[in-house]
Amino acid sequence: MFTEMLLRVVVAVGCLLPLALVAFVGRERLASLRREWRQRLRESAPAVAVLAVVLVVNRLLRSSAPRISDEVGVHMTSTLYDLEGEFVFVFQSIETPALTAYFSVVYVYGYTFLLVFPILAYVALSDTVRLRRLLAAYALNYAIGLACYLVVIALGPRNVMPEAFAETMLYDSNPEYQHLTRQVNRYTNVFPSLHTSLSATVAIFAYRTRSTYQAWFPVAGVLAVSVAISTMYLGMHWATDVVAGIVLAAVSVVLSVSLVGRGWASTLRERVGLE
Amino acid sequence: MLAATGLTAAMAGCVREVRNAVNRDGIDQLSLTITTLPADGDRESIQLSRAIRNALEAVGVDVSIAMRSHEEFLRETLINHEFDVYVGRYPTGTDPSYLYEALHSRYADEAGWQNPFGFTNLTFDQSLERQRDAGDGERRDAVAETLSAFAAEQPFVPICAPREYRLARTDRFDGWGDRHPATPLGYLGLEALDRENGSGNDDSRLRAVHTDARPSQNLNPLSAEYRNRGLFTGLLYDTLAVDAALLEDSGAESDGEDGEDGEDRENREDGEDGEDRENAAEEDEGDEGETGDENPDRETDANDADATGPDLRPWLADSWTLEDDVLTVRLREDCPFHDGRQVTADDVAFTYRFLADTTLGDDRVPTPSPRHRGQVAPLEAVEAAGNDREIAFRFRRSLEDASAAVAGALTVPILPEHVWRERSAAADVTGVRIAEGVTEALVVDNVPPIGSGPFAFADRTDREHVTLERNDDHFTLREGVDLPAPTASEMRVAIDPRSTSAVELVSDDDADVTTSTLESYVLDDVIEAADEADDLEVLESSPRSFYHLGFNARKAPFSNPRFRRTVARLIDKAWIVDEVFDGYARPIAAPLVDQEWVPDDLAWGGDGDGDPATPFLGQDGEVDVEAARAAFEAAGFRYDTNGRLRTRVSR
Repeated sequence: MFTEMLLRVVVAVGCLLPLALVAFVGRERLASLRREWRQRLRESAPAVAVLAVVLVVNRLLRSSAPRISDEVGVHMTSTLYDLEGEFVFVFQSIETPALTAYFSVVYVYGYTFLLVFPILAYVALSDTVRLRRLLAAYALNYAIGLACYLVVIALGPRNVMPEAFAETMLYDSNPEYQHLTRQVNRYTNVFPSLHTSLSATVAIFAYRTRSTYQAWFPVAGVLAVSVAISTMYLGMHWATDVVAGIVLAAVSVVLSVSLVGRGWASTLRERVGLE
Repeated sequence: MLAATGLTAAMAGCVREVRNAVNRDGIDQLSLTITTLPADGDRESIQLSRAIRNALEAVGVDVSIAMRSHEEFLRETLINHEFDVYVGRYPTGTDPSYLYEALHSRYADEAGWQNPFGFTNLTFDQSLERQRDAGDGERRDAVAETLSAFAAEQPFVPICAPREYRLARTDRFDGWGDRHPATPLGYLGLEALDRENGSGNDDSRLRAVHTDARPSQNLNPLSAEYRNRGLFTGLLYDTLAVDAALLEDSGAESDGEDGEDGEDRENREDGEDGEDRENAAEEDEGDEGETGDENPDRETDANDADATGPDLRPWLADSWTLEDDVLTVRLREDCPFHDGRQVTADDVAFTYRFLADTTLGDDRVPTPSPRHRGQVAPLEAVEAAGNDREIAFRFRRSLEDASAAVAGALTVPILPEHVWRERSAAADVTGVRIAEGVTEALVVDNVPPIGSGPFAFADRTDREHVTLERNDDHFTLREGVDLPAPTASEMRVAIDPRSTSAVELVSDDDADVTTSTLESYVLDDVIEAADEADDLEVLESSPRSFYHLGFNARKAPFSNPRFRRTVARLIDKAWIVDEVFDGYARPIAAPLVDQEWVPDDLAWGGDGDGDPATPFLGQDGEVDVEAARAAFEAAGFRYDTNGRLRTRVSR
């Protein structure tokens, strides 16, 4: 079931990517890619490595995270509930089957596309600084988010008020998604919303590169807002998680921009004698 | 001088007054936490908890809800007793004898389902002892008396007993529902069907889907946190005897073949109240009762069986005899454990010694197995009787009175001594301080489990699956043994945490049966879909557990029966059954899933309308706040001007 679902996502996003690349990036830049991709990847290697390390650590921690959380974690579900009560019901009041289908698709497919596309789009730029910053920001999102998950044990609204999400709950309207998401997520990991923070990160980068990719920014913006709303509409996250996700995105972008500069990578390369 | 003395005297008076005022502890608003499972673990529990929170907050109590995973929940409530109140399921059989373990004072300090409430009451203890010790003639009265005392004390609030529904495919296996699918026997004796569209491979694999991940993490039959009713460990480990009712009674609530609901709900509520108990039991077996005499060849044991309670059939035991209050059990010949070693009388004797004290009499604190504490308690001694196949059981009380005790004692899992002996050592977990008396046996995940049961362990992946393979050496597969045998070559239990996706796996032919019960919110759809499909069947079976609100009577104000009674009256059980369980449960006033033992005056709806013991203060789920406050005040509690309930709390 898991492989089947994974295949579906890979195929769907794989079909969408070439279209989007042609539409947003343009043939000219794609052509330059053929000449320079080696060089650009070499320049970005440190950022790729950092992201890879974070993702591997994330994977390795998956089995031991519950035990670590048992020791150091704080149960926060009732705090979140006391803080905002039934605010997420706002999104329930606009519930329609079409909207449920839209948000379900956005939550799984839209989100994956949103994360993968800018990597390719920024590889297509001759200056790799955008790519390196984006990858660093992804790594920061994961690293900080993971630390929060170890410390904060909280459950999403669907686990507290299951009856309110009877119509929209992702796993009830589309049970097959369950097989995919439970490989990636634990149900005690809701604060902050990584769906929101990574989408917001992409949107912020899209804003910063809007002079290069004019059409991409509005698309990324709409998708990112949709992903954030979908997490609440589908009962996965509290509004507090979403706000925290946006804050995390902002922090990650600011940190990655200040850490990863134009000069940094080239200085490093000179030092190790690559050039 | 005089003035100074006067001043001192005045000061002393003042100080006394101040001390008097300061040393009185303030009475604060009552603030409590409801411990329960999140919707992923138990969708109904969290909804019940929220209904109870709303009712309590309406009457001025500050309530928060703590959600814990299955094993944390059971650890906090059953083992560490760290809770105020909790909402969950009580796993129980149908017999009221469980009440002794559940509520007797002597178990108040123990871990496991033995009195997790810390409830202590000497008068109540006497009722519990009477109902346990009463012979068949007096038992009905003794049970009724216990239940009346229970209704007055409300050590916990029984809420409702959900009927169990599972979904099965009928195109690969037949015989679903011949035996209760909550028990291991429900998965034995199935008939493997040839499938016309089959690929020709060995296709007698049974593909189950389970919504609780714990069996993929731990297969220790002694673990209180990881076991509910021990379905999978029951397939891996044999017991000496089995409850005859489980062999013969499907537990099905109707005789229909396909999913139906509605009509028979009312039937259940009528019950067999006035009837003589034995007749009622006979009739319960219905059609299957006629053909259900599994053991015509066991006539020779009939007398012995009567003496030890009529409800047992030999399983791993070949037969038993009773002489001078010593029960001598003879083992079947040639029954190997899954690692090839024979089950011997020494293994059996060791099992009972070990379950009674997993430290094996080391000089530390005796630590019984929390799941079998009550079952082995009536045993004085269990010894191998001189050869490999005979074991002598001596009970603490005379056997005529102890049929329930014998039934309990003979249905514990038989453990191999060569695996478990070394687990009597103190648990050793790096970096964590372990409490005195916690043995390896209680915390080990026991993978791979070595039992002698009809299925052996094959493989597992955490939170994905646990796979069992048929034990081809199992005695049920032999000629001349008329007991349900493992027919599936393999039983793969896939873990899928939600009913909706589990149902999808069964309807898409990726699984044959849901071993977990389906959550009530999917039932309308599932029953309708199964009605339309040819190869799907909804297995409806009698409740084997009930939802309840448990109080921690070790703490004030939960130690106060007046408080508990008033809280019980804030729960609208009938409304909850409709709203939370979509009608697929029965509200209960007595703590029994089977209404057979419940006297008329405690039967639901029997006396007027609704709850005969603690009628709801309000209507349609809405608490009548004025009436509820008056009830708390009448019980001796006070309200402040802001409408907050004030009470002394022990923490």
